[in-house]
Amino acid sequence: MTRLTCPFCGPRELREFEFHKTLPEPGSTPYARVYERVNRLDDSLEHWQHVQGCRGWLLVRRNPSSGAVLETVILGGGAQ
Amino acid sequence: MTGPTPHYSALALLRARLAGGGFWRPLWTGRLLKQAYDVVVVGAGGHGLATAFHLARDHGLKVAVLEKRLVGYGNVGRNTTIVRSNYLLPENHYFYEDSLRRWETLSKDLNYNVMYSPRGVVDLALSDGDMIGAARRGNAMRLAGIDCEMMDRAALDRFCPELVASRDRRFPIFGALVQHRGGTVRHDAVAWGYARAATALGVDIIEDCEVTGLRTAAGVATGVETVKGYVQANRVLFATAGHTGMIGTMLGVTLPIETHLLQAMVTEPIKPMLNTVLVYVHPGHGETYLLQSDKGGLVMGGYLDGFPSYTREGQWSRMEDVVQGAIAMLPQAAGVKIVRQWAGINDMTMDGSPIIDRLRYDNVFLNAGWCYGGFKTIPASGAACAKLVASGTAPDLIKAYRLSRFETGHMLDERGGGPFPVRL
Ligand SMILES: Cc1cc2nc3c(=O)[nH]c(=O)nc-3n(C[C@H](O)[C@H](O)[C@H](O)COP(=O)(O)OP(=O)(O)OC[C@H]3O[C@@H](n4cnc5c(N)ncnc54)[C@H](O)[C@@H]3O)c2cc1C
Ligand SMILES: [Zn+2]
Repeated sequence: MTRLTCPFCGPRELREFEFHKTLPEPGSTPYARVYERVNRLDDSLEHWQHVQGCRGWLLVRRNPSSGAVLETVILGGGAQ
Repeated sequence: MTGPTPHYSALALLRARLAGGGFWRPLWTGRLLKQAYDVVVVGAGGHGLATAFHLARDHGLKVAVLEKRLVGYGNVGRNTTIVRSNYLLPENHYFYEDSLRRWETLSKDLNYNVMYSPRGVVDLALSDGDMIGAARRGNAMRLAGIDCEMMDRAALDRFCPELVASRDRRFPIFGALVQHRGGTVRHDAVAWGYARAATALGVDIIEDCEVTGLRTAAGVATGVETVKGYVQANRVLFATAGHTGMIGTMLGVTLPIETHLLQAMVTEPIKPMLNTVLVYVHPGHGETYLLQSDKGGLVMGGYLDGFPSYTREGQWSRMEDVVQGAIAMLPQAAGVKIVRQWAGINDMTMDGSPIIDRLRYDNVFLNAGWCYGGFKTIPASGAACAKLVASGTAPDLIKAYRLSRFETGHMLDERGGGPFPVRL
């Protein structure tokens, strides 16, 4: 994994982006939302930010075992 | 494997030389998985092996260590070998100091040379603020009875001449906090030494034996499912480091752990140049730690790659950061070639401190959350964790490392960074 494709800016080098955290399971307690992390080998749903680009927040689905990016969606703006 | 494990000594070396082979034999291979054990330890990394050793030696229990790949394939064989006890919080002071003391005698205890090298760990201050931070940490350490020394530029020039601390740099060196008893230990030798000593005490170390499930009945664990079949166990300990998040998923527990890559790299061997361990956060390039191995290579590492990964492939951009950080301090190393780069999977907790506790069941235990700093803790963790598993009660040294601390608000957040392992 060396690049992410920002739906707004296009394909950019990975270092422009910042990983925030994995998404909690729906219905999680407030404690779990802050402190617990979902760990999946092949399908991870995460929040990232394009900090050195449009600064948009992204929803990224990745396979953390292969590094493949499965889906990138920009949050807000009706794209979700 | 036949016969007892031979005792290593200068005399044994001589005898082996005269015997012409036959003296050396495999140290832990060839054991067969039995049907049942007092304790099954999952993961033959430093923590699993050390705990197994103490369970057998101090508590007389029948133990198996089940390893998915090979002894030493995980982080115990991938780390940058730095040991130190220069932490800030009291709970960590006593634990890390206990470990450092044990490193001093470990070669004797295991009858295996782990090459503890107290060459000092130098935390460089690159700003006035860094100096204040260093003094604060140093004072906290000394209040806990742990030695350390604040050095100014002139003292650093005497202690580590190759650094030329007084050199004019874009980000000048202000001084450093030095722990002299800190240094390095040969990482592979730690895995091999514990594996050998545990085997000699009757521990079965089974490689290529991934644990795929936990069997339970009436609310207690009865054994583990493995790729080599089912094994009965009175108690189960998971010491799976980077794969602990997955173990949580397997047991239906969501843990306060994120899985991140940390990489390291080493240059071609050069003549002796760096006599200590340098650690610093460069304002432009981020963290770098740097040392010279006994073979002569400059070993370096830095921050995590920054996002969950099980790939064991480091990002190029992080490698660049580390190298630039290294050259900013040691410009004379700029022409040296990097010959190897690798990465390990780290179990990052939400406060950066470890977890040694029960996990969901009364007879299931977890030894994890070692983040990027769990090599130095192996001897202390092994002894204390064995006490917990054998007696069911956590000794004082590790009481603070309970899993419930996140929920009760007793985090041990050295960095003061909140529940984000990669936020700096
Ligand atoms: C690049 C790098 C540099 C580091 N530098 C330092 C340093 O300088 N100082 C320091 O103190 N720490 C350092 N660390 C951290 C330290 O190496 C780790 O915290 C520590 O080694 C982890 O504990 P361990 O040795 O038990 O883990 P590991 O050696 O990773 O052991 C865990 C074992 O569990 C096995 N396993 C996993 N799942 C299963 C399963 N289902 N069934 C069976 N077996 C399983 C794995 O294969 C592995 O062998 C560094 C780490 C890295 C990656
Ligand atoms: Zn963008």
